[in-house]
Amino acid sequence: MTPPHSRVTQQRQRVDGAAAFLLHAYPYSETSLILEVFARDHGRLAILARGARRPRSALRAVLVSFQPLELGWFGGGEVKTLAKAEWLGGMPLLAREGLLLGYYLNELLLKLLPREDAHANLFDAYAAALAALSRGATETAELRRFEKAMLRELGYGLLLDHDGAGNEIDVAGRYRYLVERGAMPEALAESGVLVTGKTLLDLAADDYSDARSLAESKQLMRHLLSHYLSGQPLQTRRVFLELQDV
Amino acid sequence: MATPSSLDALVAALRCLPGVGPKSAQRMVYHLLQHDPRGAERLAKALETALRTLRHCDRCNNFTEAEVCDRCLSSKRDPSQLCVVEMPADLNIMEQTHAFQGLYYVLMGRLSPLDGIGPRELAFDRLLARASDGVVKEVILATNLTNEGEATAHYLSEMLHARGVKVSRIARGLPLGSELEYSDAASVAQAFIERRDY
Ligand SMILES: [Zn+2]
Repeated sequence: MTPPHSRVTQQRQRVDGAAAFLLHAYPYSETSLILEVFARDHGRLAILARGARRPRSALRAVLVSFQPLELGWFGGGEVKTLAKAEWLGGMPLLAREGLLLGYYLNELLLKLLPREDAHANLFDAYAAALAALSRGATETAELRRFEKAMLRELGYGLLLDHDGAGNEIDVAGRYRYLVERGAMPEALAESGVLVTGKTLLDLAADDYSDARSLAESKQLMRHLLSHYLSGQPLQTRRVFLELQDV
Repeated sequence: MATPSSLDALVAALRCLPGVGPKSAQRMVYHLLQHDPRGAERLAKALETALRTLRHCDRCNNFTEAEVCDRCLSSKRDPSQLCVVEMPADLNIMEQTHAFQGLYYVLMGRLSPLDGIGPRELAFDRLLARASDGVVKEVILATNLTNEGEATAHYLSEMLHARGVKVSRIARGLPLGSELEYSDAASVAQAFIERRDY
């Protein structure tokens, strides 16, 4: 998918042809929706879609989460007004567990991404993760890449090739990863997520072909993200656990 | 002069209706009090009666005045088929089709993780108990063809399969009489992806 560049016309507050995904929608009045949108060149936005809840609104088949969209809007306030929405296609609808993983990605974006702050790299990682999910993947490298991009874009970069003391990571070593300090040799730290040196190096190289690296990366990402969520629980995680429990 | 507090309270009460803001609530109140006091009285009585007498049917979870509703008790319905819908309005449209003679279960919602609605909020365990009564042979999942409806159907099907119940899902397709040229691209794409042997 090559997202078209958006044009900002002379009226500064009108945007056309913006590549975007719908993250969530809330009812607004009897007939409208407030959309939470993630646009490649504009970041996370709230947009009012007038009439989108009317029974025969053409927007119903367009405003679908996890599908590449092209949106236009106007307005300078906190909530923009939708002018145009097109479904771009090319990505099958998410199905099965893929749907819940998709909601997980959306919840991270809704909870961690500040409004109106463009994050094109994160957008591309998100699109790649959705594409992988739409092909039926679940435990997938694209999810870890997205989480990594999320931390990097928010300014919480990961230190993966050196430990907290500045020494190179030993592929055969065992470490504990501490938020804001990085990896510490296992013997020198009491808390933090246990990871092998190989996992850290594989994570740095985005290589998840080793099942152990993939599993440990997942634990590490979960730990770091929950730290930056400052204790806000993830609804998608709660629902996922409850579903395993029924 | 301040607004009488009972008037304020009525405006505030009406705002619990979906899509009713302060202005329309005020309009409704003035209309009822000024132009239709008898209508207002009927509304108050009907609300009071409904709240007092209606409950969820033990079998289908739809609203009823009895423990078990008339449809669930009817000998004309086939108890081996159970159709799961999200809302009572979905049950009504299924009935209009005259295509289904079995019984229903109304979830009163759908999985929506981002709104905090999971299996507990929807009481999945009640549906699972209902579907594993030994009489139900097939569960037809007729939740909406939205992401939320699809997620609901997926997890219900996993749980029902695990209990040895046969599960089917309503088909996705283009509206009857529709021409491809005038259909929305997303629906055509999905109909193509889900094409069947012919
Ligand atoms: Zn009933």
